[in-house]
Amino acid sequence: MTLNVAGLSKEIGGRQIIQDITFEWAPGEILGLVGRNGVGKTTLFRSMMNHYIPEAGNVTVDGQNIQQVPSRQQQLFFIDTQYNFLNNYRLWELPDFFMAVYPRFDEQRFTALLAEFKLDRNSQYRRLSKGMRALVNLVLALTSNATYIILDEPFDGLDVIIRENIASMVIDEVADQQKGFLISSHDLNELDGLSDRVLLLKDSKLVHDYNLEDIRAKAKKIQLVLNDRVIPAVLKEHSQLIRVSGRVLVVVITNYTPEIDRALKDLKPVLFEELPLTLEDLFRANLAHETGYQMMK
Amino acid sequence: MFNNKLDRLIWRRHRKMMAVIGGIALLGTVMMTLILLHTLKQDPEPNIHIVTASIRKWQVYKGNYFSAYSWWLIFAFWLGGLEIMHLDLRDHFNEFLFSSGFSRLKVYWAKLRIALSALLGMSVVILAIQYLLYWLSKPNGTTFTLAWPGLITSWAMGLAFSIGMFSLSWFAALIVGQTGSLIVTISGFTLSLVGLSGIGGSILSGPWFKVSQAALPWVGAGVWLVTAVILFIWGAVLYPHLSLEHNGEYLLFPRLRVPVYIVFVVYVTWLYSFDSDGVTMAGAFILAALFGYGWLWRPRLGEKWHQWRESKQAEE
Repeated sequence: MTLNVAGLSKEIGGRQIIQDITFEWAPGEILGLVGRNGVGKTTLFRSMMNHYIPEAGNVTVDGQNIQQVPSRQQQLFFIDTQYNFLNNYRLWELPDFFMAVYPRFDEQRFTALLAEFKLDRNSQYRRLSKGMRALVNLVLALTSNATYIILDEPFDGLDVIIRENIASMVIDEVADQQKGFLISSHDLNELDGLSDRVLLLKDSKLVHDYNLEDIRAKAKKIQLVLNDRVIPAVLKEHSQLIRVSGRVLVVVITNYTPEIDRALKDLKPVLFEELPLTLEDLFRANLAHETGYQMMK
Repeated sequence: MFNNKLDRLIWRRHRKMMAVIGGIALLGTVMMTLILLHTLKQDPEPNIHIVTASIRKWQVYKGNYFSAYSWWLIFAFWLGGLEIMHLDLRDHFNEFLFSSGFSRLKVYWAKLRIALSALLGMSVVILAIQYLLYWLSKPNGTTFTLAWPGLITSWAMGLAFSIGMFSLSWFAALIVGQTGSLIVTISGFTLSLVGLSGIGGSILSGPWFKVSQAALPWVGAGVWLVTAVILFIWGAVLYPHLSLEHNGEYLLFPRLRVPVYIVFVVYVTWLYSFDSDGVTMAGAFILAALFGYGWLWRPRLGEKWHQWRESKQAEE
C-alpha cells in the first residue's frame, strides 16, 4: 500500500507555486514537510486533495489515480485550517458529515476524545480558540481512520502539554502500520522527534527527501575553531555553514566520510566537537543563503 | 429520506437553508392569500366565485382573487439555485465535497437532484396549504371551485418557469465567486427578463413565427425548459474543472471572461435598442461595452490604479 505523488505542478495567478513534486508515502511512515512561508506547502496539500486542479501530475493510491477512481480519496484526510466548512456547526454535528465520507469514522472515539480534551460538544467550532480548533481537527483526523492523514501546522497555537499529547497520539496511531501522517510544521523540533522522513520544499520544488535515520548515520554537525580566519577548501567543498561566531564555526556535513574527517583533523583545529544534529540544522543548511548565513568564501 | 451517502450528505448540509427558503415561500404565499381573501370580503358584489370559469380551460389561470401557482414559489426556486450552489463555495463546503471520494460529476447531479426534489416537495406542500386556506377561509356566500385543466396548465407553466429561474441562478452561482457581485448580477439579469419576455412575445407572435396568443405560454415554457437543460449540462461540463484558488474572484472560470463579456454586450445592446434607431443602438452598445469591461476587468483596473497611485506617491 502506497500513495504516490508524481510530477504535481500548480500555478496560481501566473506564478508557479509548486513544480514537479514527486514522492512516495506508505502507511506507518510519518513524513514532515518543511519549507519557508509561501513555498507552497498548503498548495501541495490542496492540489493533492483535489481542491485545486493541478496543471500537471497526479496522485495515486495503490496505483489508482484518485481523479479516475475518486473513492480512493476516502483514504486521505485533510482539513484545510484556513478554508473549511466547520465554522457553522457545533462539534456534535460534525460526525454526520465525516461519517458520510469516511466509512470507518469512529463516532464513539470522537466523543471520547472531545471529553478527554475537555472540548464541549455543544460548542460552535467558530467560537473555539485557535488551539482548540487545532485539537478538533486532530480528533477528526484520528477518528476518520483514513489511511493517509495530512496535518497542516497541527501544533500551531497549542500549549506544550497538548503538543506532547498530539505527538504521542500520532506515534501511537502509526504503530500498527495502518496509517501514515504527512505533517507540515514550522516547529522543526517537533517534527524532529516525530518524523521518519522529511520533505524539504524550496523554490516551489521538492529539493530533498531526507530519511532522518539515514541522514543521521551519514551527516555530522561539527563545531570548529580554526587557527586562522580563512575557510579551508574541505569545508567550502563539503559543508554547509550553520553559524559563525568570531572564529567559531558550526557546520553541517551531510556526507561525512573518513577522508573528510582526516582532512579536517589535518587542519589541527583548536576545537573540534561533534554536536547533535537536528532537523533545524538541516533546514538552515539547505536554506542558508535565504536565512542570511553566508559562507565566507 | 435519501438513500445514498452522497445525497444524505448534501441534504444534511442544505436542509436548514431549504427549510428557510420554504418558510419564506410559505409565509409569502399565506400573506398573499390572506390579502386576497381580505380584498374579497370588501367586494360589494354578492355570490362571488373566487375562481372563475376560465379554470376549466387548458390555459394558465388568471383571476382577481386566486392564483393557481404562487409567484413566491418561483422566487423560492430562484433562491434555491443560488443557495445550493453558492453557499457551498462561500462556506468552503466545496473543499469537503471535492475531497469526499465522490466524483465531481456525481456531486453536481446529486446537488441538482436534491435541490429540485426539495423545491418540488416544498411547492406541493405550499400549494396544498394555499388551497386549503382558501377553502377554510372563504367568506360566506362565495364559492371556491377548482378544475383540473386550469390547475394542471398553471402548475406546468409555473414549474417550467420556476425550473428556468432555478437554472439561471444555479448557473450564475456556479461561475460567479463573489457573493455581492453574484446577487447584483443575477438580480439585474432576472429583472431584465421582464423586458426580454415582452420582446420575445412580440417576436413570436409577429409575422415571422405567427405563434397564437393561446400557444405563447406553451412556447415560453418550452423555452424555459430548454434553457434549463442547456444550463444544467453546461454546468456539468464546467463543475469538474472548478479549481478553488479562484474562490472570491468575480469569475470562477477565468476563461469565461471574454465569452461573458461578448454575451453581456450583445444582450444589453439588443435589449435596450430593440425596435429603435441606429443611434440608440450605438449608444447602448458603447455603454454596455464600457460597463461590461469595467465590471469584468475591474479587479485588474483597480490593481493598476493602486499601482499607478503608489508610483506617483513614490515619485513625490
